[in-house]
Amino acid sequence: MSGPIVLALRILLTLSLISLLGWMYYSIWQNVRQQGEILASRKVPGINIEIRQKDSLPIARLFTQPEIVIGREPNSDILLTEETASARHARLNYHHSQWWLEDLDSKNGTILNSNKLTTPTVIISNDEIICGKTTLTIRLQSDSSVTTTQRI
Amino acid sequence: MTDRLQSRLLKLAGGFLALYAIILTLSPAVRMRTWQVSYRWEHWIGLLVWAVCFAIANYQTSRLLPDRDPFLLPITAVLSGWGLLLIWRLVPSLGMRQTIWLLLATAVLTIGLRLPANLRHLRNYKYLLLFSGLLLTALTLFFGANPLGYGPQLWLGYRSVFLQPSEPLKLLLVIYLAAYLSDRIHLRRRLLLLTFPTILVIGLSLLLLLVQRDLGTASIFIGLYTMILYMGTARRRFLLICFGTLLLAGILGYFTIDIVRLRVDTWLNPWADPSGTSYQIVQSLLAIANGGLLGRGPGLGSPGLVPVAHSDFIFAALAEEHGLMGTAALLMLYGLLINRGFRAALNAQDRYRRILAAGLTTYLGIQTLLIVGGNLRLLPLTGVTLPFVSYGGSSLITGTIAILLLLLIGSQPDDEPAPLPKPSPYLITSALLLSGLLLSLLANSYWGIIRSADLLTRTDNPRRSIADRYVPRGQILDRDNRPINMTDGQVGEYKRSYLIPELGSVIGYTHPIFGQAGLEASLDNYLRGLQGNPVSLVLWNQLLYGQPPEGLDVRLSIDLELQAAADQALKEHTGALVLIDASTGDILVISSHPTFDPNLLDQTGNTLIDDPDARLLNRVTLGSYPIGRTLKSLFGSDIESMKTFGLFEAPRLRMGSVTARAAADNPTISPLQAALAAAVYSAEGIRPPARITTAIKTSQSGWVILPALGDPKRVLSPSGAADTAESLMIPEEPFWQVSETLTEADSAYTWYLAGTLPNWQATPLTIVLLLEEDNEPLAVEVGSKILKEALQP
Repeated sequence: MSGPIVLALRILLTLSLISLLGWMYYSIWQNVRQQGEILASRKVPGINIEIRQKDSLPIARLFTQPEIVIGREPNSDILLTEETASARHARLNYHHSQWWLEDLDSKNGTILNSNKLTTPTVIISNDEIICGKTTLTIRLQSDSSVTTTQRI
Repeated sequence: MTDRLQSRLLKLAGGFLALYAIILTLSPAVRMRTWQVSYRWEHWIGLLVWAVCFAIANYQTSRLLPDRDPFLLPITAVLSGWGLLLIWRLVPSLGMRQTIWLLLATAVLTIGLRLPANLRHLRNYKYLLLFSGLLLTALTLFFGANPLGYGPQLWLGYRSVFLQPSEPLKLLLVIYLAAYLSDRIHLRRRLLLLTFPTILVIGLSLLLLLVQRDLGTASIFIGLYTMILYMGTARRRFLLICFGTLLLAGILGYFTIDIVRLRVDTWLNPWADPSGTSYQIVQSLLAIANGGLLGRGPGLGSPGLVPVAHSDFIFAALAEEHGLMGTAALLMLYGLLINRGFRAALNAQDRYRRILAAGLTTYLGIQTLLIVGGNLRLLPLTGVTLPFVSYGGSSLITGTIAILLLLLIGSQPDDEPAPLPKPSPYLITSALLLSGLLLSLLANSYWGIIRSADLLTRTDNPRRSIADRYVPRGQILDRDNRPINMTDGQVGEYKRSYLIPELGSVIGYTHPIFGQAGLEASLDNYLRGLQGNPVSLVLWNQLLYGQPPEGLDVRLSIDLELQAAADQALKEHTGALVLIDASTGDILVISSHPTFDPNLLDQTGNTLIDDPDARLLNRVTLGSYPIGRTLKSLFGSDIESMKTFGLFEAPRLRMGSVTARAAADNPTISPLQAALAAAVYSAEGIRPPARITTAIKTSQSGWVILPALGDPKRVLSPSGAADTAESLMIPEEPFWQVSETLTEADSAYTWYLAGTLPNWQATPLTIVLLLEEDNEPLAVEVGSKILKEALQP
């Protein structure tokens, strides 16, 4: 009789080992899920950009996505029409709780507040960006609802 | 969140270990198959100490390191607890020592939690630390000892406390390399200039280890050095250079250091010498094979058969008692540990702590792979410990310190990790370690599942003779169910006794050292209960006890009274006598002399093998003797007709037998062949098949007849056979007989053949007697006497 009882205990032993490992791996997955939820709930503070293209009236647009591409390419977020701008000219990026401007190897360069841009640079309200013959003026919205990135 | 998770994981680990302890307590009952046994309790003290130690460690980590990695402590806890209970199970005398070591290790862990998180002391005193480590190791050159009393002297001992300095040396090497590289790497000097001091240090250490023949640690050193430098400098050529060096060192070592050659040879071909040089690895594989999928259960396997199972071969012990499920879980725990270690490295806030964390993880990973791979024959064997699990205080404390440092490095407030321009060395290193674990798992499946069956039936598997002590083996009975060989005693002490020792060379023996012979070998599957029992019963017993069910009794055709008469007559002579039922081929008497007493095998076994009288030889079936003109003419003179008499085929019998040597005009034959051929003259021209095993006793349907393996064959017409038999008959006796003597240069053989006449009304019989001497009168006298006795109603 001892054999079957101990067999049941042995199966229980294996199951307890599996449940220990299962719990570990489940916790890791849960960790990833939480991380995903944090990222999903993270709000990008809106950015207002006043666009003044040559030969047209200035327009103001509000963006809420974390990445804004500026260029002549049809799927650009800010579509430039004049010839001096490159197809993918510059990019605005939100990370580390800030908006960064980055030149995408444009032919004629990107100018931030009358300085030519060489490395990605943090921008603030009232900064002026010039791509070709287009001038963009930044108006940042205040960002109280922002959470920072957590390590996974 | 972190605290709750860590506590919950520790509780789960505690539940697992408690179940282990309960099963270990109950295990003697399963072994002896009764509840009236003395149970094992001593390991509960180990579990208690474990629980207290890790409860304190859990509390202290929650208090002092709120942002730590919640997995590191539970992994350490379950590995060290599992190892502790395994050691209590394997070598109870070492259990208390390991318990004390665990107490010390967790004390070091708990106290060390207060160290400053930037670990700058370790960084500043790197040379001091490393050289004190080297000094301690160097001391073993002069004051070295080995706790076992033999083997490499790698320990420093005082009374009965031993320290193995090469264990902390690994840790100190990692600290040194991390500190050195993080200080110097930004100088962007030439690679050689950069690495020169480290090469000096590592060379010195290796030299020391080589002199001490601590080759396992030396291999870990080379591997660690390579990976840390690769991660520190991100230059791939390091891997190539070091791989080349390792290969070169291996080849050089193979030709200059005996132990390296031995290890490599037994790795490449362990089956060449399974009882000698590769005994360890073969026993390790047998233990793993015995584990199968679910394992035998704590306390229910025989891992003690593998030498030093509590240290070098603890993985094999674990595989035997927990099976593939257990080892898979173990390897996954190590995999998770490696994963968490590298996570701590990548999240570290400066390069020093990053290299340190990665180095510590690599150290634990390499050491695990080296010994697990060695146990599984993936790698040559090296005597290193399985981190946290193997017996050994130095190793346990070193491993715990590594975990402590990882906990400190990994428990940073949410700061940005230091930038890492080239992350690929870290990814490649962790991928290498993890795929090594995966490969181990595959190798474990191969030995434990795929090759399990054919490994376990190997005759050098000691588990078979252990099972013989716990499961009664079937009896061997004569034709009237009188016992010949039987098993008696109690569970755990069953012993085979041989009631008719004169039948030793025929029925054979089953012995834990000398294996099996004769019918005991050829009928083993029945006697052991593997054949003749329902498959479900065999599988159920295997699952419950890892042993076969009760054996089946086997009935032979032997008549013990006639057998005793024959043995009495041949006692003082060298020869063979066989009496068969001419119509069925059943062997009534089978006597081979001189023989041996299987009951005395313990004392005589070693000398029997080289015995000049060939006592082990069953002369009736395996002896091969020349025949002269008389016998030749009896069997038709020419080769063709001798073939029809069956002299050139081995009688098919459930035991070993030989065929005649086909030297064209001078065949040599066995007495059994002669008897079967001569039976033609007593059985109306038909040669019977031979049979000695007549029935087996199954649990469901009682005695089941085993048919003869061959078919009867007509050789002569009934009248032809009768004519010859009558021409050979002797006055006033109901049988025919022939005899002849052959003398060769230094030996002589006397044959006597006789058999009943075709008109004999009762069972027809044929007898063959062979004496290895020139003594025809004796042969005739003995042969006819036994035949006449057999003819008595």
